[in-house]
Amino acid sequence: MINLDNTSFDRCIKCTVCTAYCPVARVTPLYPGPKYSGPDAERMRIKTPFLADSSLAYCNNCKRCETVCPSGVRITDFISLARSTRLKKRHRVRNFLLTHTDLAGFFATRLAWLANFLLGLGMVKTVLGLFLNISAKIRFPAYASGRFAGELKAQARIQKAFSEQVLYFYGCYVNYNFHDLGRDVVAVLNAMNIGVIAPAQKCCGVPLIAAGNLSKARKNANANIQSLAAAARGTGRKIVFSSSSCILTVQQDYPELLDMDTSAIDGHIEFITRFLYKKFKAGNLPALKPLNLTAAYHSPCHLERTGGVMYTIEVLRRIPGLQLTLLHSECCGLAGTYGFKKEFETLAEDIGQPLFRQIRATAPDVVITDCEACKWQIEAHTGLQVLHPVSVLAMALAKY
Amino acid sequence: MNLNNSTDYDCLIIGGGLSGLACGITCLAEGLSCAILSSGMSALHFSSGSVDLLGYFPEATVVPDPFDALPRFIDMHSEHPYARCGIDTIKEALAFFRQEMARAGLPLHENCSRNHFHVTALGTLKPTFFSQRSVFNQEIRSVIDHTPAITIMNIQGFRDFHPGLAAANLKRHKLFSACDIQCAEMHLPEKEKNPSPVHAMRSIDIARIFDTMDPDEMARLIRTACPDADIVGLPAVLGIERHNAVLDRLRQKTGKIIYEVPTLPPSMPGMRLDNALKSRFAAMGGVFIQRETVEKGTIANGRVTAIRTKNQNDTLTAGFYVLSTGSFFSGGLVSRFDQIAEPVFNLALARSPEARCLGSENFFAPGGHAFLSAGVITDDTFHPKTPAGETVENLFCTGAVLSGYDPVNQGCGGGVAVATGYVTGRRIARGIYSATRQRQDYPDLP
Repeated sequence: MINLDNTSFDRCIKCTVCTAYCPVARVTPLYPGPKYSGPDAERMRIKTPFLADSSLAYCNNCKRCETVCPSGVRITDFISLARSTRLKKRHRVRNFLLTHTDLAGFFATRLAWLANFLLGLGMVKTVLGLFLNISAKIRFPAYASGRFAGELKAQARIQKAFSEQVLYFYGCYVNYNFHDLGRDVVAVLNAMNIGVIAPAQKCCGVPLIAAGNLSKARKNANANIQSLAAAARGTGRKIVFSSSSCILTVQQDYPELLDMDTSAIDGHIEFITRFLYKKFKAGNLPALKPLNLTAAYHSPCHLERTGGVMYTIEVLRRIPGLQLTLLHSECCGLAGTYGFKKEFETLAEDIGQPLFRQIRATAPDVVITDCEACKWQIEAHTGLQVLHPVSVLAMALAKY
Repeated sequence: MNLNNSTDYDCLIIGGGLSGLACGITCLAEGLSCAILSSGMSALHFSSGSVDLLGYFPEATVVPDPFDALPRFIDMHSEHPYARCGIDTIKEALAFFRQEMARAGLPLHENCSRNHFHVTALGTLKPTFFSQRSVFNQEIRSVIDHTPAITIMNIQGFRDFHPGLAAANLKRHKLFSACDIQCAEMHLPEKEKNPSPVHAMRSIDIARIFDTMDPDEMARLIRTACPDADIVGLPAVLGIERHNAVLDRLRQKTGKIIYEVPTLPPSMPGMRLDNALKSRFAAMGGVFIQRETVEKGTIANGRVTAIRTKNQNDTLTAGFYVLSTGSFFSGGLVSRFDQIAEPVFNLALARSPEARCLGSENFFAPGGHAFLSAGVITDDTFHPKTPAGETVENLFCTGAVLSGYDPVNQGCGGGVAVATGYVTGRRIARGIYSATRQRQDYPDLP
């Protein structure tokens, strides 16, 4: 029997707008583009699975095709599913290392100095490149010592003393690599008299989806839904995210691509800037001092896909003395784990060039973006400091 | 954002096409805060990139001077959006639009407030009002009298343009009857580097080659392909980032008049217009949300109280709302099995909602197809009505969602989009300032 779960390809009118805005198709003729790989080929693949070809691997899962599609076709879902179910698995070891962020983080944060030292060694990079097809050019984000989850749990009593609380889905990057962003989130929310609680959580699964490992992604999804639902049930507490890719995965990929039941958490999930915007509007604006900073804002692909850019812009506009330039929307190229894969390292750089050119032309003091992968890529290619909007807000807090 | 007020924005525009953006830019120029919610890319990507004002009146007769024809046209079409805008406002709207596009780096050609023709991919001539510099326009028209040699040229591997078809139709036109019209194909070395058999060369792929390749080399290739031509018609693929510079260089280096013929989607001239409008809107402080469908708007006591978004599942509020969602093609109107409807607010439609008789059996019917003039019914200030007949005070409708005009048979789609967007932006500014704040230098509407 033919599985007709997602027949949104019937809405495709072959206008090719998706391919016109696909950042991968722009830089290589080896990728036929989302129209061909998604709705066009899906009709064929349903009946003739062997038609799935290796060009599917080129998709970087940025979802810009879905963002621009005038007909609401779930293009990336076709590509992700076909990649997972119909392509032969390659680079298994590499993909295991790149996608099991919790496992890697568990060990690396215990001996962070050693992990960072090893990952920084030229020799190690060469070995990774030769045997595992991991880009030798890319700089791995440094591991932090200890986990953010532990740090936040230690403050549980302080956080519970606030008049209201939110549940924070900090994600792997904050947990294992960059505690500062988590601290900024806590500082800003605390300044608004809101406590922050960390529910148990696993990696949202976005790297697993990108690598085509949907069964492991479903396991993570299930664990997260259970845990978040249990923490939110009956409390009316919001679950806030500071990573735009984590929230996209939980909010859209869990129910649509992974076919999970998210009804228990649907009404609770919010991106941090939307949560802040709503609070600001209700009158809960923390005392802010002027920043005297010029900044360029880069909207991450995944935040655009969810329509959440508006809230970030409006929150940033509340910061006194912040001169904000909105960059023309472009993909940075890294796309999570895409740029770490050796076969795509050059493409990832090429994709980002228009964005880097724009940033250089704007010459801001800092770049602001909501996505950690965009941050790594922009920092590596422009040399500028890249901050999360919440970190900029934290800088502006009068008492911080 | 209006944190001091109770609403999110002064003005929320639903629909990010030509009309929504024209309205948004007008609002921002008036100093209002404004956001546009767009559900994917707009119909500009399917358009010629030219803006029509009034092409045909009376029926199927080409209009040489739209402003000359408009008074009588308006007399005969009292329900037409133009009749509700007024001729002076239309003039003002077009001038404003042209000025803003020039500021965004997209100068528009205008033929001394008369129509000019652009050549279509089928080789027919279409009257239009504003065109991009690169398309066939009056400047080229004046050379035709000297019976030049014309070559319609394709690019090897490009499947969305057929020079033979265009040339054959052009030859049938009296303007070109004395001209020698040839077809040719130019070879792009970049194309040969393409190793992928599945990769179709689309307009966008070739445009990117024009954006990056040395124009002098391109000029050499054109000269090789058609050494004797005085005028060269190319599909509209001269790039999207620096097309004007490329065009000037090509014209200079080849000594030929080179023009673009708009082709199948994705339309490069349409994308240029879309880019220019969006960058202008963002530069003026507007917030453009590319992927957000408005699922439902709530109307109570003749006012919109909020709109609900699909992606964010959020309720947004504004002082004024604008519905610029387009016609059937863009989803502003939906055709169901037994009726047509406006899906966001369920507004009253001008035609009887039964879907019967929306089309003619003859595809090229002289009177056009009824579905083209279907749409929401409004009063003279573009306020729509609920099915119960109640006027919605803080909601305006602009562009193709409006009823009472036929963009194809009257050749007026772009003009209506711009004029109704502009007049609505001005009206909203007047409403906001009279309700909440003072603005000294605000001029009265004509």
